[in-house]
Amino acid sequence: MDAIRTENLTKKYNLGWRKGRFLALEKLNLRIPEGEVYGLLGPNGSGKSTTLKCILDLITPTEGAAWIFGVPATKVESRLHVGFLPENPYFYRYLTGGETLEFYGQLCGIRGAALHRRIEELIELVGLAKARDRRLAGYSKGMLQRIGLAQALIHDPRLLLLDEPTAGVDPIGSRDIRDLILRLKQMGKTVLLSSHLLAQVQDVCDRIGVLNLGQMILEGDVDQLISDQRRLSFTVEGLPAGGRGQIEQAAQAAGAKVVGVEHPQTTLETLFLDAVRQDKRGAGEHD
Amino acid sequence: MTERVGFSVARVGTIAANTFTESLRQKVFNILLIFALVVIASASFFAEFAFEEDVAVVASYQLKSIKDTCFGALSVIGMLIAIVGTAMLLPNELENRTIYTILSKPVRRLEFLLGKYLGTVLLTFVSVVLMSVMFLAVLTFKEARLSQPAKAVVEQTESPVEKQKAQEQVAKIRAEAFDPAIVKGILLVFVKLCLLAAITLLVSTFSTSMVFNVAVALLVFFAGHLVGLAKEAWQAQPLLVYLLGIIPNLDLFNVADDIILGNFVPWAHVGKVTGYGLVYLSGVLAAAHFIFSNREI
Ligand SMILES: Nc1ncnc2c1ncn2[C@@H]1O[C@H](COP(=O)(O)OP(=O)(O)O)[C@@H](O)[C@H]1O
Ligand SMILES: [Mg+2]
Repeated sequence: MDAIRTENLTKKYNLGWRKGRFLALEKLNLRIPEGEVYGLLGPNGSGKSTTLKCILDLITPTEGAAWIFGVPATKVESRLHVGFLPENPYFYRYLTGGETLEFYGQLCGIRGAALHRRIEELIELVGLAKARDRRLAGYSKGMLQRIGLAQALIHDPRLLLLDEPTAGVDPIGSRDIRDLILRLKQMGKTVLLSSHLLAQVQDVCDRIGVLNLGQMILEGDVDQLISDQRRLSFTVEGLPAGGRGQIEQAAQAAGAKVVGVEHPQTTLETLFLDAVRQDKRGAGEHD
Repeated sequence: MTERVGFSVARVGTIAANTFTESLRQKVFNILLIFALVVIASASFFAEFAFEEDVAVVASYQLKSIKDTCFGALSVIGMLIAIVGTAMLLPNELENRTIYTILSKPVRRLEFLLGKYLGTVLLTFVSVVLMSVMFLAVLTFKEARLSQPAKAVVEQTESPVEKQKAQEQVAKIRAEAFDPAIVKGILLVFVKLCLLAAITLLVSTFSTSMVFNVAVALLVFFAGHLVGLAKEAWQAQPLLVYLLGIIPNLDLFNVADDIILGNFVPWAHVGKVTGYGLVYLSGVLAAAHFIFSNREI
C-alpha cells in the first residue's frame, strides 16, 4: 500500500475580496510507496508546503484528494502514524525541551514511564541532552529543528513529513539531519521531505519530484536522474602537463593509462536548472 | 481496519494544561494580577475616613466601600485577563506554527479549540480565586479593626444595656463583613468572564489579529452592559429588541450592587443567570467550532 497518494491535488488560495484566487498547486499526482525517501524539490513558492499541508488536512484542497496509508486525509485517523516537522518551527517558547516532548507525547496518548523512556531516547537521538531543561526561547535555529524532529518522532510514526528540514541550519547540523533521515530509512520509515537546496538532499532520497509554479515538472529515481547517459568521463592518471587539450584523441597515444570510464554524475542543481529552463511558464517565485 | 480516533477528554486536558502553563509563564498576567491585588489591598486604606458617631454605621459605610472597590477590581481585571488571555491564543498558535504540529497529530479540531478555551477558563478561575482570597483577607482585617471599639465596650462596660448594644454592633459588623452573598456575586462575575472568553475565542476563529480580537471583545463587553438599557428605551420596536437579544445582557451578571446594599439575592436568581450564561456560552462555542473546523491554517 502507498504511504501517500494524491489524486489531482489542486489548491487555489483565496486572495481576499475581489482579488481572485491564486493557483499554488495544480493536479498533483503523487504515489510514495512505504519505505521510500521522497524528496519534493522546487524553488521558494513552488507549492511544496502547500502539498504537505493538503496531505495533513491543514488546508482543504480546491480539487482532488489525498490518502495516507489508504485513509482519506480528511479523517483524523489518517494522522495516527504521521509525524510532521513544519517549515521554520518555533514551538512554545516558555516550555523546556523536555516539557515540549512531554506535551506532544501526551497528545499522542503516551503517558507515564513509556513516555519518559521515549523522551530519553529521542533527546539522545537528536543530541539535545544538554539543552533538555532549557526553555525553547533560548534555542538556536538548529536546536529548534532538532526538537521539531524529536516531536515529529515521539509516537514512532511510520511516515514522516519534513518541510525544509535542513533550511537555515549550519552544514554540520544539516549533515546530522541527513544522517538521521538515513537512519529512519534503515528503520523502514517512509519519509517525504521538501527542500529548495537540491544538493542537500540528493544523497538521502530514493526518488525526487521537482515542482515549479505548482506543477510537477520532473520526477524519477535519483540514481537515474543524476547519471547522465549522454557523456562519458575518462579518469586518467599520469597525464603530462599541457596534455589536457589532446586527451580525447590522444589519451592513449600520449602514453597515459586509462583507468576508468564511467557515467559521470550531474548534480541535482544542474538537473533542476535544465528542467526549469525547459518549463516555458518561467521559473521561481511568481507574484 | 484502522483504529478509530474518538473525541478524547484527555487530549483536551493536555492542551488546556499546556495553554494554562504558557499563559502563567507570560509576564502580562502576573503583572495584571499583582495590580489587582494591590488595588484590593489598598481598598482598606481608602475607606478610612468617616464622620458618623455610631460604630456600626461607620463600619457599614467602610465595608460597602471596600466591597465596591474589590468587586470592581475583580470584574475589570478579570475581564482583562479573560479577554487578553483568550485573544492571543489563536494568533500565537498561527504565528508560531505550533498549531501545525498539534493538528498534524491525531487531534480533532474541536479538542484543540476546547483545550485552548478551558486553558484560559482555568487561568481566569485561578485569577478570580486569588483575587477573592485577597478580598476576604481585606475584609477579615477590616472587620477586626472596625469592631475593635465595640469589642472594647463589651469588655469594659458595666451597664448591661450598653453591653448588649455593643454586642449587637459587633454581630452586625461581622455579618456585614462576612456576608455569604459575596460568593454569589463572585460566582456570577466568573460566569460572565467565561462568557466573555468564549466570545473572544469566537472572534479569533475568523481573525488573525490579536488587537482586533481584543477590540471586538471590549465592544461586546460595553454593548453587553448597555443592552439592558437599550431594550427598555426601545420597547416600542420589537424587532430592534429582538436583534438586541443577540448581544449578551451582561448586566444580568452584576448582582454586586445589590449585595453591597444588603438586598437579598436569591440562589434561584443566581442559578437562572448562570444558566443563561452557560447556554449562551455553549452557543458561542458551537459557532466557534463551526468556523474553526472549516478554517485554513
Ligand atoms: N495562505 C495563502 N494565501 C495566499 N497565497 C498563499 C498562501 N500560502 C501560500 N501561498 C502562495 O502559494 C505559493 C506556494 O506556496 P508554498 O506552498 O508555501 O511554497 P513553497 O513551500 O514551495 O515555498 C506561493 O506563491 C505562496 O505565496
Ligand atoms: Mg515552504
